[in-house]
Amino acid sequence: MTHSTEVKRADRKAYKPGRIAIIIGATIIAVVLLAAILAPWIAPHDPYVQSMLARFRPPSAEYWLGTDRFGRDTFSRILYGLRITLWTAAASTALAMVGGTAIGILSGYCGGRVDRWLSAANDLLMSFPQMVAGIIIVALLGPGVTNLIIAIAITAFPAFYRMARSAALALRDRDYIDACRVLGYSDTRIVARHILPETMDDMIIIATLWLATAVRTESSLAFIGLGAPPPAATLGGLVREGFDNLLDYPGLAIWPSLAILVVMIGLNLMGDGLRDANDPRASA
Amino acid sequence: MTVLRIDKLRTTLRLGGRDCDALREVSFSVAEGETLAIVGESGCGKSMLAMSIMGLLPAVARISEGRVILGSRAIEAEPESRMEKIRGAEIGMIFQEPMTALNPVFTVGSQIAEPLRDHLGLSKSEARKTAIELMERVRIPAAASRFESYPHEFSGGMRQRVVIALAIACRPKLLIADEPTTALDVTVQRQILDLLDTLQEQGEMGMLLITHNLAIVAGHADRVVVMYGGDVVETATVRDLFRAPGHPYARALLASLPRVDRDLSELASIPGRVPPLAMLPDGCRFIDRCPHAMDICNRMPPTVELGEGQGHTVRCWLHVEGGEHAADG
Repeated sequence: MTHSTEVKRADRKAYKPGRIAIIIGATIIAVVLLAAILAPWIAPHDPYVQSMLARFRPPSAEYWLGTDRFGRDTFSRILYGLRITLWTAAASTALAMVGGTAIGILSGYCGGRVDRWLSAANDLLMSFPQMVAGIIIVALLGPGVTNLIIAIAITAFPAFYRMARSAALALRDRDYIDACRVLGYSDTRIVARHILPETMDDMIIIATLWLATAVRTESSLAFIGLGAPPPAATLGGLVREGFDNLLDYPGLAIWPSLAILVVMIGLNLMGDGLRDANDPRASA
Repeated sequence: MTVLRIDKLRTTLRLGGRDCDALREVSFSVAEGETLAIVGESGCGKSMLAMSIMGLLPAVARISEGRVILGSRAIEAEPESRMEKIRGAEIGMIFQEPMTALNPVFTVGSQIAEPLRDHLGLSKSEARKTAIELMERVRIPAAASRFESYPHEFSGGMRQRVVIALAIACRPKLLIADEPTTALDVTVQRQILDLLDTLQEQGEMGMLLITHNLAIVAGHADRVVVMYGGDVVETATVRDLFRAPGHPYARALLASLPRVDRDLSELASIPGRVPPLAMLPDGCRFIDRCPHAMDICNRMPPTVELGEGQGHTVRCWLHVEGGEHAADG
């Protein structure tokens, strides 16, 4: 009796940090997401309307975070920037997850020559630093949100590929997968019913963690001028614009930077929390 | 009626650039409602035989000669897509290790329902109903309420019952049981074997019982195939084998059984060990351990029929030419 209650208490203790992180992270993400979705209704100003009379205003009741050199409201631009940044991050991560999982499982399950070639190609992709790969791909594809999404997806692909491949590789040799073969299930059925569902937990956790990386990559690419073309507001683009007047009006770069920070903290907390909550060793 | 006939089957493994025969000229048949035991020690090709029948040989192995005839159809060269329809539907298989043969993340019921839906095309609710009936047939108590249980909630014996339910789900003509009770407690072994006997009688399946346990052979098989080093060395009814084993290996195997009416202080054993696959001799493969080895044993022995029409056959030179050497064993 005492033993079992002790175990339960220990369980709860080990489980808690993960849960708190998930709750805080999810709250932050929910607020940010809501702000982005509701931007057209809650933004106090049009983010694209310029006003020569209202340039470089300090924060005030009318312009909460001040205005930029064209007199556009910084707060409104951050709200709209969140939209593009979050959409880019979500779409590219989803794309990388679907592609990486599919090709990774194919690679791990088939093994042999297929696996060798796909892994070699993936290693090649991984050997480029993420930013360099992103820059090359955007340069090749040209600017624009769609191309940006594709570029970020390609840089995130290896993480999903590797995880899915190793999971499929480990599951492939389980006795119950052999049992499936003996029962005459086709490879398609085995993969879809018995391997894919078991990899999904891991893939979703990586996806949350990679969302944060995708936000960072998008912002970095935008900062060096390879993001969504102006006048579109993206968080990285706002930092870049603010950077030109950094010494005189530091707020223009700092506010969007803070927004990026908040988004990343939220996503990382949620991802780490999910991982801890899912890690069988964490509750041991 | 014959359910399965194996005719001069040769399965070749490619090891280190060399072809080695894992099975040589293996022939036998299983009739409807019959239990044929395949006996032999580890490495004699029992499992290779099962995999040859199922068409699930590893990439380095292939059937190089002979036929596998299921019902009236040769299946040794069928393409994978056809074999997928045969496996699980016409041939069921039970494994040694029930603890790992079930997927831990799905309920027992959904796993039993899966082959019903895949092979028989039953709807979800029909499959559920049939799965519960199957669970009752393999005597899982409170079947309906255990449908939603997960494998880890079952004991080893109960899991083996689930594995059996899976194997017989589509009413196969042939059931291959590869060491079905080796991983189980002795008391549970008995229950599982009795269950298999009952199911076999009900369904008129032919059963191939692969085992190294002679006690199981004596109690549950009709006929026996004794294998050594990839050869079928003796085929006989259980009665004939235990009364008058013909092959020196079969004799040695039976002599090594402890007996209640003899002194137990010394357990007989067969000297030597099975040579590794790559070093198997070309002639009789028992030659290095056989007390009767002769020069002629370096050639592949022929299959000799003992008695009249009893189907008792031995592959040994001792029995050639009227078997004048056979007595001195």
